[in-house]
Amino acid sequence: MTDSTFEQVRSVASDIFGVPANKITAASSPQTLENWDSIQHLSLVLALEEKFSLQLSPEEIEQMKSIGETAHLIESKLQAPPR
Amino acid sequence: MAITIQPYRREHESAVQEFNRRLQRSSGDRDLVFSETAIPRWLPPTGSNPVWNEFFVAVENSTAPDSPAHDSTVHESPVRGAYGLKQESVFIRGKGVHQVACYHHALSEGIGDRSYASVGGLLARDALARQPLLYALGMGGDQTPIARMLQALGFSLTPIPFYFRVVRPAKFLLEIQALRTTQWRAILMNIAATTGTGWLAIKSAQFASRLRGRSGDFVAEEIVEFSEWADDLWNHAKDAVSLAAVRDTNTLRLLYPVHVGSVKRLRVSRNGAAIGWAIVGERRKDSKFGRMRVGSIVDCWASPENAAMVVKAASQALEKDGVDLIVSNQSHRVWCRAFEVAGFLKGPSTFVFAASKKLTELLQPIEQNRELFHITRADGDGLPANF
Repeated sequence: MTDSTFEQVRSVASDIFGVPANKITAASSPQTLENWDSIQHLSLVLALEEKFSLQLSPEEIEQMKSIGETAHLIESKLQAPPR
Repeated sequence: MAITIQPYRREHESAVQEFNRRLQRSSGDRDLVFSETAIPRWLPPTGSNPVWNEFFVAVENSTAPDSPAHDSTVHESPVRGAYGLKQESVFIRGKGVHQVACYHHALSEGIGDRSYASVGGLLARDALARQPLLYALGMGGDQTPIARMLQALGFSLTPIPFYFRVVRPAKFLLEIQALRTTQWRAILMNIAATTGTGWLAIKSAQFASRLRGRSGDFVAEEIVEFSEWADDLWNHAKDAVSLAAVRDTNTLRLLYPVHVGSVKRLRVSRNGAAIGWAIVGERRKDSKFGRMRVGSIVDCWASPENAAMVVKAASQALEKDGVDLIVSNQSHRVWCRAFEVAGFLKGPSTFVFAASKKLTELLQPIEQNRELFHITRADGDGLPANF
């Protein structure tokens, strides 16, 4: 995972969850971020789709268990050849 | 582990029961339950009916959905969410009749366990994928989790006004003051602010409303079942609305079947000809209303010029049944006015209509059209829960 993708995902998450970016790590998850509930999870999905111009499938949305896993998912989608 | 959303089948029923227990334990709310039978009790699909319910469940599988072992593990897989779709036809002025669905009873394990925070969004997106012309109704206001989630998905929100008429002011005041709910306190304060306090204030406010208009003579009779005259009324009045769920005879017979005795079907006529109809009923006991007997004008239909007579007929029928308070939700400008003319007061509403992006496109220009939506308590999923 590149620093750039992680930083961009972290920046989006910071806006959505209302938490300073430097408090968000790869391990940050719904269990550690107080504002990460169902609504904010959906907001995160929609914001990432908008920012990276991609669409996340239900299976992919379900994989977003932490910021690190989310950044990893976004990066793999960006690197995948267009279908 | 992967979440898949699929039609609710008999083999999911025990997992849904366990899901309900977990939700109730984690939330402390006994009302958070999804249907424990896969076949809907209300409006089950038959393949030929114009309105029906269908249920979906979010199942957590330990095997991939396309694996050969997947089907055999269904009975062991936990359910992490569920929702219902009420499929129906709506009339949209200038656009004809369209098949739409009401998204209802969406429940997610994420309510009590943040590991499943993704499930709520997955449910809503799955419903949109199955029926892009989607709406939700009620929701307890525009700031509840479900309303906020739908707003995030681009739904437009329209509050549906709430009307009430106090039949027995002394009992109303006693019960409402004992309840001290924010909503009813706000109503009382509104009345007191404009007219004084107590019994006299309520009577004055309602009388003042009644003075604003009069309705002509009519005859109201209770009928057992709707018949063809209701088709004529539907066809005659539908162009006065910008949006309404189809209310032809066939649909009305399904919504208000003969065997359901919890509501009354009223045919309102003048000079022997049907001019409208109303569905009235006494609401189930609800802690919001204490010991009051609450009647509801659940649904109604007529041409605009006859709306006031239908409201008056419905109101009189409930008063005759001995209710203490009559409530209704109405969105159409003419019907709102008809309720005011019949002595109803407007109160704060938590009843909201949310339309998906695609449905909102069909309702354009929505700012002009929303005051001509014909939405009542009979729309959405509220009938069996409240009566």
